[in-house]
Amino acid sequence: MNRGGLLPQMLHCTDMTVLERQRARLKWQQDQLQPDQQQQESRFSDFNGLFSMPAQATQVQNFQGGVLAAHDPALADVVTRSVKPDPALLTGWTDLGKTVELRAGMEFLGPCAYSNYSGLEMNYSISRTSSCPPAVAAAVAMEAVEAKPKGSILSEKVSATTGRDSFKKRKVDKMLNAKIAAEDEGKEKKMKACAEEGDSKVTEQSNKKEKCGDTCKENSKACEGQKPDYIHVRARRGQATDSHSLAERVRREKISERMKYLQDLVPGCNRITGKAGMLDEIINYVQSLQRQVEFLSMKLAAVNPRLDFNIDNLFAKEACTSNFSTLGYVDFNPCGVEMGMNPGADMGLRRTISAPVETFLDSSCFTQIPSTWDVELQNVYNNITFDHQISFPPQPFTGSIEGSNLKIGI
Amino acid sequence: MSSSSFTRRCNTMMKVPSSFKKEFLKKWIVGLQVCGSLNKNMSVSERKKAIKLSADIAMASARNGSTCWSRALIANASKQDANKLVVEHVLGDDESRKLTKQLPVGTSMALARKIRVIRSKKNILKRRSGPMRRAARKSNSSLSSSCIAKRLVRKRSQVLKSLVPGGEFMDETSLIEETLDYILSLRAQVDVMLKLANATELVTNQK
Repeated sequence: MNRGGLLPQMLHCTDMTVLERQRARLKWQQDQLQPDQQQQESRFSDFNGLFSMPAQATQVQNFQGGVLAAHDPALADVVTRSVKPDPALLTGWTDLGKTVELRAGMEFLGPCAYSNYSGLEMNYSISRTSSCPPAVAAAVAMEAVEAKPKGSILSEKVSATTGRDSFKKRKVDKMLNAKIAAEDEGKEKKMKACAEEGDSKVTEQSNKKEKCGDTCKENSKACEGQKPDYIHVRARRGQATDSHSLAERVRREKISERMKYLQDLVPGCNRITGKAGMLDEIINYVQSLQRQVEFLSMKLAAVNPRLDFNIDNLFAKEACTSNFSTLGYVDFNPCGVEMGMNPGADMGLRRTISAPVETFLDSSCFTQIPSTWDVELQNVYNNITFDHQISFPPQPFTGSIEGSNLKIGI
Repeated sequence: MSSSSFTRRCNTMMKVPSSFKKEFLKKWIVGLQVCGSLNKNMSVSERKKAIKLSADIAMASARNGSTCWSRALIANASKQDANKLVVEHVLGDDESRKLTKQLPVGTSMALARKIRVIRSKKNILKRRSGPMRRAARKSNSSLSSSCIAKRLVRKRSQVLKSLVPGGEFMDETSLIEETLDYILSLRAQVDVMLKLANATELVTNQK
């Protein structure tokens, strides 16, 4: 799944699924774990370039839905795709110096993060803060210390806006803000670590972040993978926020995800959208498959008086080649097959098979034949003969290895 | 059971690999030979049952016990003593011992009994509250549509549970996963059987 390609889609659609968001978050976390300094630098430089672009209103509108969608570097990717950064601006930014650039990037990450977490109300504050990035950046360049206080100012703004929200949302927002603050701290430190290229520090900070995630109890489901990772579920705008409904929603989304797979499997399900209709189609399909199995087994029983569907028999009879080309994976290659177990039987098999098979090898119908299959099949037969002490008729065979000839030592 | 493992499994199983078909064919032939050796003269119906049985067991064992339905299928088959031999031979003694240990016949029967008891109790309760529910339904017509939808879904998932082997013990999400897997394996089984049937038909026609 291309992360960059997925996120614009996620941002633009207002009802993102919880699982998609969670996956985006996980991927972002994984990304963060790899201290790819170049990657991050380029991201931040793009980011800086972007925020000086005038076309911010459209970007602001993109931050709709009030949902914890992407994280900030991921956002940067999205924004880079929608608006191509001006290289001149980028060079301008790089002049300021590495650390400053990173800090400036972090600075702009701040408002973006808050905008994501707090919804539409924040759009106004975004436009306010982002409309003067050059000035801010310059300020940051001159006084690097101001980065933190500005962050605190923004956090005040956030708390003010959350005061306007409904009571239900406030609870969730507060918890998330705590998380945001923790994450932001982690990010800051992480950036410094990247700038200093400290591998150990990065892992430390990533551990911190994970711990922050752990302590945040929103909806702790079972752990996934090795990290103690909780599925953080965020209530959507205008929906209930108690844990039961959140759990219900996650469960429902899981089910719908699996239903989508089933839609691909079961033919003719593309039109049907409801769960009941889908289940109906699935039931019909499973029933039809089971009936097919019954019918085919009846057919096979009727065709053959004994239960001996030996493939060599089929080949020996020089049956239609077109059918065997579809059978495809069954082939006999007499040359070079080492059958060490039961020499008598082997020779018998080999001799008898070689004659008719050559005719098949000449024909061009065997297109996709894995050569290992025949060896396996031979071995299967050999094992059977060996275990059950069956004596093969040494004469060239005309009929099949009849069940009546089998003497099985049980 | 995480969603990532499920997606991984889906992506690998989306097109049934030929290795699965090979495994299935191998085991099926083994089963058929065992059946053929046991009973020399069988009627058509007996043969058909034997064919189907060995096919089912081969399909289930080709999954190597990674799915619930395969284990349930094998367990159901080994409940009847007549089939046990086939199962053993198809699976190989070690595997069959492992599987029969994991899902011993006794406990599965006990589980089924428990579930039946619980369900019957639920039915009794439902019947008692029936008249009350009907009144409530009449009063809130807006609720009834969702209720009806839920009932439909529940009915259908019941039917699906009866179709998929071992389905009664699963919850909805795992039921859908197992159905997916089961459908794929059934498809492969039908494919192989069809090809074999065509081949034998042509052979007999050419005679």
